Amino acid sequence: MTSEKRVGEPADVVELPAASRATDIALDELEIVYAFIYARVGNRADAEDLTQQVAMKAIPRLRQGAPASAIRGYLFATARSVLGGFWSTRLGLSEAELHEDLALALPPSPPSEESADTVQQILAQLSDNYRRVLELRFLHGYSLKEVAAEMNSTVGAIKVMQLRALRAAAKVRPLE
Amino acid sequence: MNGKPENRVEKIVADLLRGRRLKLRGGDAEEKAAITVAARLAGARQGPQRMHPGFRKRLAESLERAPREAWITRRGALVAGLGLAAGAAGGVLLGRAAVAEPVKASEPIEPVDGRWIDVAAASELVEGQGKRVVAGGVGAYLFRRGEAVTAVSSICSHLPCELWWNGASGHLACTCHPVKFTSDGHPAGDYALPALNKVHVRVTPSGRVEVLGTA
Repeated sequence: MTSEKRVGEPADVVELPAASRATDIALDELEIVYAFIYARVGNRADAEDLTQQVAMKAIPRLRQGAPASAIRGYLFATARSVLGGFWSTRLGLSEAELHEDLALALPPSPPSEESADTVQQILAQLSDNYRRVLELRFLHGYSLKEVAAEMNSTVGAIKVMQLRALRAAAKVRPLE
Repeated sequence: MNGKPENRVEKIVADLLRGRRLKLRGGDAEEKAAITVAARLAGARQGPQRMHPGFRKRLAESLERAPREAWITRRGALVAGLGLAAGAAGGVLLGRAAVAEPVKASEPIEPVDGRWIDVAAASELVEGQGKRVVAGGVGAYLFRRGEAVTAVSSICSHLPCELWWNGASGHLACTCHPVKFTSDGHPAGDYALPALNKVHVRVTPSGRVEVLGTA
């Protein structure tokens, strides 16, 4: 503010977004980012760390008081970059070696529908045995032993089948 | 990848299904496609996730105070491999602090922009004896048991002091106070200290030991 005020003149009322209001908006957007990240790392601890990183990187942008729609694209771009760094560090690969399409694609639909839909699309394109082993293990939470019993097989064979099913699932292009 | 890939991937899957953090190691990159899909399936099994209320609250607090309090502690800086920067800056706001919280005791060090740095030949490591190495800004002690190599931070989990390897007693000892740690980083003695930070390490097929450090 550069204008001078005379004595008795009321001060300008500057409409600044309250910190708590700006934070609320940011948190609502970060909820979507969290769901996006969680759907790719599969565990809470890593999802929280990465969401925190996205939030901290995005602070200058969040503080500009931009509308939610304007910061969403920035947040997701940041989330993709943070996820790329995460996988690259954990796997010991340069980001060039890490194929970006492994886990970083932007969601085509709201995350509330995105994860389940994409996973169902992936599973639907697998052979019956591969789909069954992944459904039992991941979606129904069966142990290897329980999967083996269900599929009349051995734990060793199921372990190998699980790896092959995961490799096959990685090659499936969901209908995005 | 050490051992059979199906066993290693099963270990990662089992950890994910128990809700644990993804812990990967050298060689897992060979199965990167299977591992990332496993994480995705694990992430989808309970439907879309919302932030835990406690985390949301912490995030709100850090958003509101970030510019003022995004200072990095000296120990955090040292352990994260930023010792020189923290010392020279004397409390100047560091980019690292705004990106991630300082690494906590006992957790693996995840250097910002980490790179695998060649530090030694596996054959140079004497079984059961610690060897101090430096990978850019990350200092570590390496230990070899058979063909497995492990690494812990060379910084004490209590005070930001360099540890030294006491070969006679087989412990890492702190130079600042009378505490010592076993080669796997656990405190040995009367002080109930946190374990040392782990350091990521891998052995290449040609027998070189690489530590995840900084350029």
